[in-house]
Amino acid sequence: MVPEWLLVKDNYIPKEEKNLYIEKSIFSLIKIISIIRQNKNQDKLVYSINPTLKVVSIIVMILCVSISRSFIYLFIIDIYMLINFFLMEKKLRKRVLLKSFIFPLVTLIALIPSMLYGNIYNSLLIFQKLIITILLMNLLSHNTKWSEISKSLKFLFIPDMFIWIMDITIKYIVLLGEHSINLLFALKLRSIGITSNKYNSLTGIMGNLFIKSYKMSEEMFHAMECRGFIGEYTTKVNLKLKKMDYAYLAINILLVSLFIYF
Amino acid sequence: MHIPDNYLSPSTCATFGVAMLPIWRRASLTVKAEITRQKMPLLGVAAAFSFLIMMFNVPLPGGTTGHAIGGALIAILLGPYSAVFAVTIALAIQALFFGDGGILALGVNCFNMAFIMPFTAFYLFKLTKKLFKNQKGEYIASFLGGYISVNVAALFAAVEFGVQPLLFKDVSGLPLYSPYGLAVSIPAMMIPHLLVVGILEGIITVGAYSYIKKASPDVIYKGKVSKMKYFYIIMGILILATPLGLLANGTAWGEWGSEEIKNLLGFVPKGLEKGFQYNSPFKDYSFGFLNEYFGYILSALVGVIIILIIFKVLGKINLKRNIKGD
Repeated sequence: MVPEWLLVKDNYIPKEEKNLYIEKSIFSLIKIISIIRQNKNQDKLVYSINPTLKVVSIIVMILCVSISRSFIYLFIIDIYMLINFFLMEKKLRKRVLLKSFIFPLVTLIALIPSMLYGNIYNSLLIFQKLIITILLMNLLSHNTKWSEISKSLKFLFIPDMFIWIMDITIKYIVLLGEHSINLLFALKLRSIGITSNKYNSLTGIMGNLFIKSYKMSEEMFHAMECRGFIGEYTTKVNLKLKKMDYAYLAINILLVSLFIYF
Repeated sequence: MHIPDNYLSPSTCATFGVAMLPIWRRASLTVKAEITRQKMPLLGVAAAFSFLIMMFNVPLPGGTTGHAIGGALIAILLGPYSAVFAVTIALAIQALFFGDGGILALGVNCFNMAFIMPFTAFYLFKLTKKLFKNQKGEYIASFLGGYISVNVAALFAAVEFGVQPLLFKDVSGLPLYSPYGLAVSIPAMMIPHLLVVGILEGIITVGAYSYIKKASPDVIYKGKVSKMKYFYIIMGILILATPLGLLANGTAWGEWGSEEIKNLLGFVPKGLEKGFQYNSPFKDYSFGFLNEYFGYILSALVGVIIILIIFKVLGKINLKRNIKGD
């Protein structure tokens, strides 16, 4: 016999949770992984420039921009940025633009009280510089292979060990990120309505993630040993320049000389 | 707390970058000596972990979400030197590839979040753990480690912002970079950190630590605190920085004298009129016969020494109790 209470239809409607912290976490993790995973093998113009040259010239440009006090120079850089921007792929443009404008706008709002005291020129200068630097970095990360960027750090006297660890980190952000997405989905499936012990479950996931990463690193060491890795990692800077690269170099030298001129 | 480029002057960024060099060097030497070759990949994976911790959205009261930094957690789990490495790499990846935090400001960000934060958290954790030797003590210690370390890091960031308008002005005296002085930047940074972010960091640290302690206790860093040197160095920097308060106009928030209250409110509340005139031995933190700046430093030093003595005494009492218990 089936007991009677099993046959009665249950009208349980869980109260809706207002802050969707699990979804938000899943979303931000997916975003990160998709940025890392995106295919950067396009044959567009900007993608084919030598990455070492690109990284070095962008860092020099950031330095120039942050020292510069001239609106004209910043304006010229703005135009240069726009040209760069339109050389990007269409679907990436929106993402880059959105990412590069939100933060400067927030800053601009925060600077309003100071502008009311007459500090207008410098505030606008900061706003302008922020847009340029954030846009520069975002363009770099979207149009260059990340492994190439980290390799080119060698040119800036960054030790091999650091570059090696950074490469591991990027790979493991993806692996551990996927693991934590799975954990978060498991949590989502098991929590209905309002959950009172949010912190417990979230910190549990973080703890689990740490133990998982510990195990993964051990596995990785064994895998490396099996393949004959002795713990020394050397990277070589890619400095083969093509015609394109010389043109890029010329443009950058021109921009730096403009900085000196203004 | 990720400071972007152009908030701080390039010279500030360069200074902090140079200050980080010996720390990075020391960290890499210690890590090489401390960690077996087998655990080298752990640094990279730990950096990935510290990066991902920042991606977790944690519910906050009021329906919004925020995220923790995780610097304290990593310091407690892996030891301070590995934490310097892991957090530095996480910050470098954020700056290089995700546009969070500046390239030039990387040194400053690393100083706040990859040096000050893990070292404060680690030593505080060890110190508090010594005082309370039971299970609860560990939880209190990890909460305090998270809470205080993120606040100290925020204080450093606030001071870095706040000194900009004092140090860098254009010809007409207008600030070149971040325009708000210490009187604005410190409350703006500290109030949210003291009330919300710090508590969040503390809860995350306790939660994750206690989970790992239960699930797999052998992965937690066991290095002994043989030298408290770095703790004293951080304390030293803080003590030397106390005269910065003199640069700001006005008194610290909530520490007004009755005259200042009159200026602020227009009247002096009756209860305060005669109120709480407490005669401290060091009035206004100065020693009269000394220069004001040295007075501040000396007062801070005395304060720290008194706190350390109290901690030592408490430790002794605790030790005696433990011996009796045995």
